[in-house]
Amino acid sequence: MSSIVPLMGIETEYGIIREDVETSDPVEESMALLQRCEVPSVFRAWAYKHENSHLDLRGFNVPSLAQDEEEDEFCAEDRKRPYSYWEMKCDRVLGNGARFYNDHTHPEYTTPECNSVFQLVAHDVAGERIVAECARLRNQDLGQNAVQVFKNNTDYSGHSYGTHDNFLIPRKLPFENWVQGLVPFLVTRQLYAGAGKVGSENRKGPSHTGLQLSQRADFIETILSIETMTQRPIINTRDEPHATPEKYRRLHLILGDANMSPYQTALKVGATRLVLSLIGEQKLHNPIELEDPVSAVKRVSRDKTGKVLLHRITGGTITPLEIQQVYLDQVEKHALGQCKETDWIIHEWRRTLTELEYSPEKLADRIDWAIKEKLFSEFREAEGLDWDDPWLQSLDLEYHNLDPERGLYRALEEEGNVTHLFPEAEVTEATRQPPEGTRAMIRGMMVQHEKDNIKNIHWTGVEFKKGPALDLSEVVTPADVEHMLNSKKEQFAWI
Amino acid sequence: MDMNDPLRREEKRESTPDREDSGPTSPDTSRPGRDSILKRMKKVDPKQSEKYKQRTGQ
Repeated sequence: MSSIVPLMGIETEYGIIREDVETSDPVEESMALLQRCEVPSVFRAWAYKHENSHLDLRGFNVPSLAQDEEEDEFCAEDRKRPYSYWEMKCDRVLGNGARFYNDHTHPEYTTPECNSVFQLVAHDVAGERIVAECARLRNQDLGQNAVQVFKNNTDYSGHSYGTHDNFLIPRKLPFENWVQGLVPFLVTRQLYAGAGKVGSENRKGPSHTGLQLSQRADFIETILSIETMTQRPIINTRDEPHATPEKYRRLHLILGDANMSPYQTALKVGATRLVLSLIGEQKLHNPIELEDPVSAVKRVSRDKTGKVLLHRITGGTITPLEIQQVYLDQVEKHALGQCKETDWIIHEWRRTLTELEYSPEKLADRIDWAIKEKLFSEFREAEGLDWDDPWLQSLDLEYHNLDPERGLYRALEEEGNVTHLFPEAEVTEATRQPPEGTRAMIRGMMVQHEKDNIKNIHWTGVEFKKGPALDLSEVVTPADVEHMLNSKKEQFAWI
Repeated sequence: MDMNDPLRREEKRESTPDREDSGPTSPDTSRPGRDSILKRMKKVDPKQSEKYKQRTGQ
């Protein structure tokens, strides 16, 4: 286990639409989806009192968070609906330690905190299964397959919703050090982390025809910002550690894509964790500084070779592939041999960069954008379509559909045409059981055994109707978990 | 279940005949299933993405 990054988690906002009505209402449909969840859970007991999204990592508070005018109007209409805030949020905390609720009209599945990359990816895929099962039950009620749910980040009309990867990191290193070390890495990790998108939505810059690497690149507007719905940054500065604030920060990365390929999620999160370890241990040498990182995010996304030239502050140019190789070389020197998971990530990171450089067609079995490139190119050829034909964007959308009868990634999986990372039994287990050795295990056990006694619940603790509260804010390592469980045997006889 | 042990995955990979060295299971993307994915793609409504409207999230 990494001592620099002891816990990680992924939040995924899903797209949702009802196809049998003229105007699909996302508020109604998201609520109906959450209400159909049959996974054992605590309902409407999230402790919002422990949240403060207005505190900035740079040391100040913002009075409010921004959203665009269109969303302001929608929210004004939402306030007229006959539902309370709690009814609209439909918060659930599941027996596997995850949170499942509505966030800005999108069903959001947030994995439990995990301490290994493979554990985390299994829980991310478990989230897909839980959300898809809710859709199946909802459609059963409707008597038709009308509600469709998508694990993606765009509606192709300028509305984006997020997939955030989160890493618990130490507070003691100045935030500026993390930023300086991370930015070039994050700008270029889309080479292997991008989910692929047909077309572009960047109204302020040049348009793009064809497939680009990333769904989210068009929406990145600044390097640092606390905002998430406008002015989206490369690194989000929300200071909400969900752990002891004197000791920890939570790095909240909102620039990533929702990956259908679990291999890709493992590579994205694994490489990021290794780079964070390098920075945290102050072993990152000669950090690269880009002249214009925000513009570089878009330029990297629109060049599938990884060889576009990016300007450095110190003069000269460097390619995205070269930047990734600089990080990989240093990570390999620092971390190779630490554990089998680390070795897997380093090996696959190297293999993927090498194949991108010399034989990119080989990525079409495990990297979403490359799978799309191959699939859509074959289809274009068969149907005689140009890249700007709307059919291609519709196929792009269907790639992310969770419905096993419709989703294109689901079909590729079923046919064995994409890399398989987990036996299905392991994913099923993750839908039911929390990750071992984490504070999420304690949360999940409480949901499983004390459901009717829970007054409210949060990442950092549980309050009960009867009995003393549990404070999980200091519970970080497996030893902390064991100590906490041992100390609570009197309060909870089932431990 | 032991999700923390990548060795389990390496054992699984070793049973895969098309693996060149290390790495996860590599599928044979030229297999006949390709026809059925193309059929599924053909069923997709060309206007579907135009009808797919969402609200801004985070």
